Amino acid sequence: MSTIRANSPAAYWLAAPAALWMLAAVVVPTLLLVWVSFWGGRAFSTASPLTFDNYLRFFSNQAYLGLVAATFGQALLLMAITGTLGYCIAYFMTMKVSNARWRTALFLAFIIPFWTSTLIRAIAWVPFLGVNGVINQALIGLGLTTKPVEAFLYSMTGVTMAQVSLYTMLAAGPVVYMLTSIQPALREAAMTLKATPFTVWRRITFPLTLPGVVIGQVLVFLNVMSDFATVATIGGNKHALLGNLVLNFYEGSQIRFAAVVAVLLMVCMLAGVALALRVVDIRKLGT
Amino acid sequence: MPDGSVTISQLDLELRRIRKRYGSFTAVDDVSLQVGKGQFVCLLGPSGCGKTTTLRCIAGLEEPDDGDILIGGKEVTGDPPWKRDIAMMFQDFALFPHMTVAKQVGFGLEMLGKPKAEIAKRVAEVLKAFEITSLAERKPASLSGGQKQRVALARAMITEPRILLLDEPIGALDYSLRETVMLELKMLQQRSGISFIWVTHDQNEAFSLGDLVVVMNHAKIEQQGTPEEILARPRTPFVAGFVQGNNVFHGEAGTAAGGVLRVACPVGEFLVPLADLPAPAPGAAVSFSVRAERIADRPDPTLPNRVTARCTAVEFFGAVRRHILELADGEVLKYDQFGALAPRILPGQTVDLGWRAEDSVLHDAVLQG
Repeated sequence: MSTIRANSPAAYWLAAPAALWMLAAVVVPTLLLVWVSFWGGRAFSTASPLTFDNYLRFFSNQAYLGLVAATFGQALLLMAITGTLGYCIAYFMTMKVSNARWRTALFLAFIIPFWTSTLIRAIAWVPFLGVNGVINQALIGLGLTTKPVEAFLYSMTGVTMAQVSLYTMLAAGPVVYMLTSIQPALREAAMTLKATPFTVWRRITFPLTLPGVVIGQVLVFLNVMSDFATVATIGGNKHALLGNLVLNFYEGSQIRFAAVVAVLLMVCMLAGVALALRVVDIRKLGT
Repeated sequence: MPDGSVTISQLDLELRRIRKRYGSFTAVDDVSLQVGKGQFVCLLGPSGCGKTTTLRCIAGLEEPDDGDILIGGKEVTGDPPWKRDIAMMFQDFALFPHMTVAKQVGFGLEMLGKPKAEIAKRVAEVLKAFEITSLAERKPASLSGGQKQRVALARAMITEPRILLLDEPIGALDYSLRETVMLELKMLQQRSGISFIWVTHDQNEAFSLGDLVVVMNHAKIEQQGTPEEILARPRTPFVAGFVQGNNVFHGEAGTAAGGVLRVACPVGEFLVPLADLPAPAPGAAVSFSVRAERIADRPDPTLPNRVTARCTAVEFFGAVRRHILELADGEVLKYDQFGALAPRILPGQTVDLGWRAEDSVLHDAVLQG
């Protein structure tokens, strides 16, 4: 028996089905989208002339530019919150929960919400955040407030609360993986070299988990940038991010503008991933 | 040390009756140890005997449930590792994968808050001393086992701790490297004056390196002493059985006369000197050992201790010819012959063997538990 070499014909044949699928499901639609975003004229036809008009009109609209900024702002906010929370949860579960059963139970508790779709999870937050929702009932019950807080539902505060719960595990998961792959002896060695626990974390544990942190941040960034469901259900009609704009244009049959926003969103996300890869070499993960 | 001239302040390390349990499992039980200035101590025992836990208690990585630990005369039992005057070398070296060799070797000095210039100077000196200057900018993943071992040692020794703890430090090295590294480490220890506490399951390491060898089994110290003492006078059947070359006999104590005890075993009666031990009550279970090289074949009829055995195998160890024989009760007897070029006993042969009374070593009945 011999193994299949990376550059042999057999290797290419093995990669062919997946490559064809990716071509049909990802590459061609993406190229079509880019093409459509350059269509000029009024008619929705393949005979349309190619122009930059759609992009120029998009960028000359202050409201749309504000939306781009807001989307980036929301992504950065979520990255900061879920990054910190996620790291703490990951550290707690791997370092402080020594009982394997408890660890599994906690881990399941954290990932079970991910068994449902993003849309369902977003909608599930509505009864919690509403004026008569669980959170307000609890606050009133505890005597912390007399009037229900209206800021939770149909506000960006509510959207952020829901997104934090949805995406914290994305930030925590890769960190859990990196933390469990650090030999305990490394931290012990640092301690016997006179490092205090905080220094051990700063000089040994954190640098070794950094790739996990960055991967988690990329996942959160991509999800928040493309999230329209949470914003639509919890933000109501009052709030929108780029993802919702795509939907609005699409529902308004402004396919060319929908394509423009979709392309812009893709460019932003690619730029974010490219930036992250400059910090961490994903290919070196797991070695 | 046995002359009592050592006072507490001269001890690098003292363990007073330390005990460590994990749930219902006792990992270290009533371990006491005194290590004088600059001593080389080997903790020897089979895996799971508590030697590594003892080492981790000294390092502060585990806290004993009971007992005291003193380093340099100072009580440190509750202190965390970073407050103890120790360094440790780990079994797989535990090098920091994200740091260059120079950075890792300087880590201890950095933690002590030394100025940058001083750290750079000391690191350069230490790298030179350990002959790893050329590796300064490399990361651990690109180092060989022997190189990693040097880096780990340099990293541990740069702060000149009072005690260096070593957990199977050469166990991860190629067999061919071990002998050289052992010699280097022994010389380094003697030059530096740092006490070494070396954990190993390899008796060759322990006996060739240790000033003091501490044999552990089932969480307890079975015997401690110089290598010569342990080889010449094993105090328990475990130590005798663990140390290569001993034959252990179990039997019943008979009468004692003139400092010599009669021991009745299934394969015969033997004379065993009491040495410093009190005479056991007649009928008490006792054990003794005799070293394989102390036995003679076709013995002089005047030898008091005699057995008949059937040879099952012969092994060669350089100058030694080791015979494996089977006694009448099925137990194995080892008999070593030195410098014998021509075979005297062949497998399948039945021979008479014997040894002098003074070559039998009575085990301490109190310790047999």
